[in-house]
Amino acid sequence: MDRLLHYYFNLDYMAKSLPALLGGLAVTVEIAAWTILGGLTLGLSLALLRALRIAPLSVVIVCFVDMFRAIPPLVVIFLFYFALPYAGVALDPFWCATLTLILNLAAVSEEIFWAGIVSVHRGQWEAARSTGMPFGRTLLWVIMPQAIRLVIPPLTNKTISITKMTALASVVAVPELLNQASTEQGIYANPTPLMLAALMFLALFLPLVLASRWVERRFGWER
Amino acid sequence: MPAGTPVAGSGDEVVRIQGLSKSYGTTAALHAVNLTVRRGEAVAIIGPSGSGKSTLLRCINRLEEPTEGRIFVDGLDLTARGVDINKARREIGFVFQAFNLYPHLTAQGNVRLALRLVLRLGSAEATARARAALDQVGLSDKYASYPSQLSGGQQQRVGIARALALEPKIMLFDEPTSALDPELVGEVLSVIAAMRDRGMTMVIVSHEMQFARQVADRVVFMNEGSIVEENTPEELFTRPAKQRTRDFLARVLRH
Repeated sequence: MDRLLHYYFNLDYMAKSLPALLGGLAVTVEIAAWTILGGLTLGLSLALLRALRIAPLSVVIVCFVDMFRAIPPLVVIFLFYFALPYAGVALDPFWCATLTLILNLAAVSEEIFWAGIVSVHRGQWEAARSTGMPFGRTLLWVIMPQAIRLVIPPLTNKTISITKMTALASVVAVPELLNQASTEQGIYANPTPLMLAALMFLALFLPLVLASRWVERRFGWER
Repeated sequence: MPAGTPVAGSGDEVVRIQGLSKSYGTTAALHAVNLTVRRGEAVAIIGPSGSGKSTLLRCINRLEEPTEGRIFVDGLDLTARGVDINKARREIGFVFQAFNLYPHLTAQGNVRLALRLVLRLGSAEATARARAALDQVGLSDKYASYPSQLSGGQQQRVGIARALALEPKIMLFDEPTSALDPELVGEVLSVIAAMRDRGMTMVIVSHEMQFARQVADRVVFMNEGSIVEENTPEELFTRPAKQRTRDFLARVLRH
């Protein structure tokens, strides 16, 4: 028990590594915020474009989506970091990671939004269009409110699981939380910083999980 | 003729259907149908399942795209290239068998939506008009109710109010009571009858023979994609001219 406390909950090392870890936490939060905002906005936009039913456009969207659903995010991060410079584009490691997560969440959330859109009964389209409502307004005011309510559970689920991948950024030397913890562990030869980082990850993502439950309940107007 | 040019002699005609055909692939649902509906007239379309009655109705506001033929509503050719179909649809009210109410909006919200987004009315005016329409169908106490809180008959009446609020020139009813429990049918039919008495031009596809008899000026019998015969209710129901009509009526009026 003593050894457990010394190696994993060593208050002395926790205090020493805290500043570095807090810096890492800030970076993690930044990546997470960009991922959620950028990923969901892009995903929703792609789903709305797909609703236009313009065949060539839909094909392009589906190709993009399938590609980013199929390739592991880590591979994409490496490609951005190691391969892009040869094409003349030198991305900051922070953006290699963040862009990867944005594109990944966009692809996954596009499919989820699309599933919601096509699940809305055709009669809803017909009712709105029969009153003279144009396509765009029908999509925005009649279809999307219903589509989004349908897909909130899988959407919040996937958003959290992809946002957690911020830790992948550590492999391209982004000073986010995991990277900092790893470094501190090396300095002090004690895994306590890693434990502290784990608790910080929990503190960051558990509220997100609870918030998603609240959203599910709040918008589930199901009879 | 460019879209929007009124056709001569159309003043009295609200709907003119010429040579309308509709095929789904190789299956023909409508064969060169001709039909005219005059202002203030109530036309009932009856016939067996698959006869094309609903398809015909849905072609009038182009919920179904005709394969061939022309459709004129108030003189405007809806099948012409470049026609503003959204503008045309404001003049055509459509009531669905399955109601198709917006579940995320209240009764008032359902009726208000097109008033705000299509007619671009101000908020207060839209609310007033929506409530007036709901009053007309007898739902003054249900403004704030969601569709899931309403009975089938009430939901259909909201559907009627939603179409009525736009003050269309013609109302189309696609089997308005077929999805209702029998005891709820009457309340919807009396709303339709009241509209008829106020002079609304309407086309009703229905299985309610008694209702067609009471309310319609003209009954059209369809079978296998064509109009077999049309006449006043009195004539068609008591002295049908064609054998197919007789067969159908014999099967249906037995109940």
